[in-house]
Amino acid sequence: MKIRIVLPLLVVLYVIVPVLWGGDKYVLSLLVASFTIAGVALAWALLGNLGGMVSFGHAAFFGVGSYTSALLSMKLGLPIFLCILMGGVGATLISTTVLPALRLRGPFFALAILAYSQIFRILATELEGITGGAGGLSSIPVLPKVLGYDFSSKLGGYFVAITIVLFFTWIYHLIRRSYYGIALRAMQESEDATRVVGVNSTLLKAAMLFISAFMTGIFGAFNSHYINFLEPDYAFHSDWTILPVVAAIFGGYRSLTGPLVGAVAIYLIDQSIFKNLIPSGHQFILGALLGAMVLFSPDGLEPFISKKLRWGKRAAH
Amino acid sequence: MSELVLQSIFSGLLMGASYALIGLGLALVFGTMKIINLAHGELVLLSAYIAYTMESTLGWNPLWVIPLSILVVCACAILVYFLVSGIQKNRELNSLILTFGIGIIITNLSLMIWAANVRSTSVSWFQEGVVLGFLYSMRSELLFFAAGLALLAIIWRWLKKSWYGRAVRAVSSHRDASKLMGINPQFTEMLSFVLAGLTGSFAGIAIYCTNVIYPPLGATLTVKAFIVTVLAGLGSIPGLLVGSILLGLGESLTITLLRPSLRELAGMILFLLVLFVLPNGLFGGARRRG
Repeated sequence: MKIRIVLPLLVVLYVIVPVLWGGDKYVLSLLVASFTIAGVALAWALLGNLGGMVSFGHAAFFGVGSYTSALLSMKLGLPIFLCILMGGVGATLISTTVLPALRLRGPFFALAILAYSQIFRILATELEGITGGAGGLSSIPVLPKVLGYDFSSKLGGYFVAITIVLFFTWIYHLIRRSYYGIALRAMQESEDATRVVGVNSTLLKAAMLFISAFMTGIFGAFNSHYINFLEPDYAFHSDWTILPVVAAIFGGYRSLTGPLVGAVAIYLIDQSIFKNLIPSGHQFILGALLGAMVLFSPDGLEPFISKKLRWGKRAAH
Repeated sequence: MSELVLQSIFSGLLMGASYALIGLGLALVFGTMKIINLAHGELVLLSAYIAYTMESTLGWNPLWVIPLSILVVCACAILVYFLVSGIQKNRELNSLILTFGIGIIITNLSLMIWAANVRSTSVSWFQEGVVLGFLYSMRSELLFFAAGLALLAIIWRWLKKSWYGRAVRAVSSHRDASKLMGINPQFTEMLSFVLAGLTGSFAGIAIYCTNVIYPPLGATLTVKAFIVTVLAGLGSIPGLLVGSILLGLGESLTITLLRPSLRELAGMILFLLVLFVLPNGLFGGARRRG
């Protein structure tokens, strides 16, 4: 992370974008939604890249995070930012139920977590006394005023979303660089060899699962206070799994910035072009994109572009 | 009360054969290629939608649609096979993402073509009741249960005795060694996809005639196929059948004794129990999964 890259990026995100589009509610809401997807994509990529696990169940963590935070703020009246934090904690607690699936490797883990995500949607619908059932929760408290600034506006939501995304990116960077990050990457080469040199691989994988679930839960919680409405089919919708997976694969889930860039690109293109062209079923394009990426450029878009550029240069000579 | 329970056990039993057929496709492909086809349930649902289209436009009986849907679904399965075998590196994880993408494509195309409505057959012959003693069922349930069992028996026999069936089992147990015995592993892998398409399209028609279909059902069917294979522990067709009947029983008892909306939870709880208590499945040997 070089300061040369980070500083201009911060200026663009915190100053230039708000100045240019601060009054445009449509652009801001698209941006906030795409940052929410970006955050989940980052969490997904952390589990995939460091933990070596492909998850098709992040919608479960997202939904649990949203409901935890919304219910805490509505029923107990706790401060909103504390509720959002508790949303992350709730999602982490729920992720402990996935632990027995950790002993399943590769494809079986992916399917087990797909099954889990269905359980939680059913539970949210059925536990009417707590969650309000299929009718959902409305008038969830908005983001509060802090130091005289009202975060409940679209622009306030934008600042909160971008700050959480950047903070988690930094955390991800620290983990990746740490001793544990190196151990985790070594595990992908050979899990047995890594265990021999004294790395507790199961513990580390579980830790990645917890961190990933925590991040996803935080974004779910933020989203519930941002849109002020929840229902089980929305909070646990498969979109919260599909969009981050496509974003991370498209941008390149092995890099730090790939999922973020991928999420913003995918979401903006999907919402501004395909949704208008094909109102129902426009996501088949995302599926096609996912397949094409796996077949032609499994490491994401970035290496693909740089390869093309190099090829172009060679051809010019 | 006890009659109600017996009735629901009977209904669960009848569901079992279709689940076994769906699970078999997933297990065969996993056996030969060591990948999980996450689009499997969507392929099964595609067959159901072909039956719906032919019935609603041309008035065909769903039974006559079976050959057509086998043709289409097997063609799609072969396409999936070629796409999956086109993956260059890290096939285990990338195949998951690829087939997940194919599942998204099929689900969304069905949303576009057939809309999100709930569909079922309008042929009343299927829905007429049959009474066996004090147990009730629909004609279609009995018909597809018997036909499903027969199909399972044929495939079981085929896997045990025929040259190609034994080739499928040989590739499943040791790919390199099977190559030395003169088996073409690529062809065998494709064959397992064709078989998955065949059993899947039959199961799809069965679901269309006995139940209702809607586009997101595909993912649910994939999960069910997975639960069945976990229960059975990937190995034998009788094991698959027992696992599927357990799943069917669990679901129908949940519907009767608790609430219909909790139906999908029954399978999950069975699945979790097996995962905790018997990680190798009910019939798995000492071999570890994964």
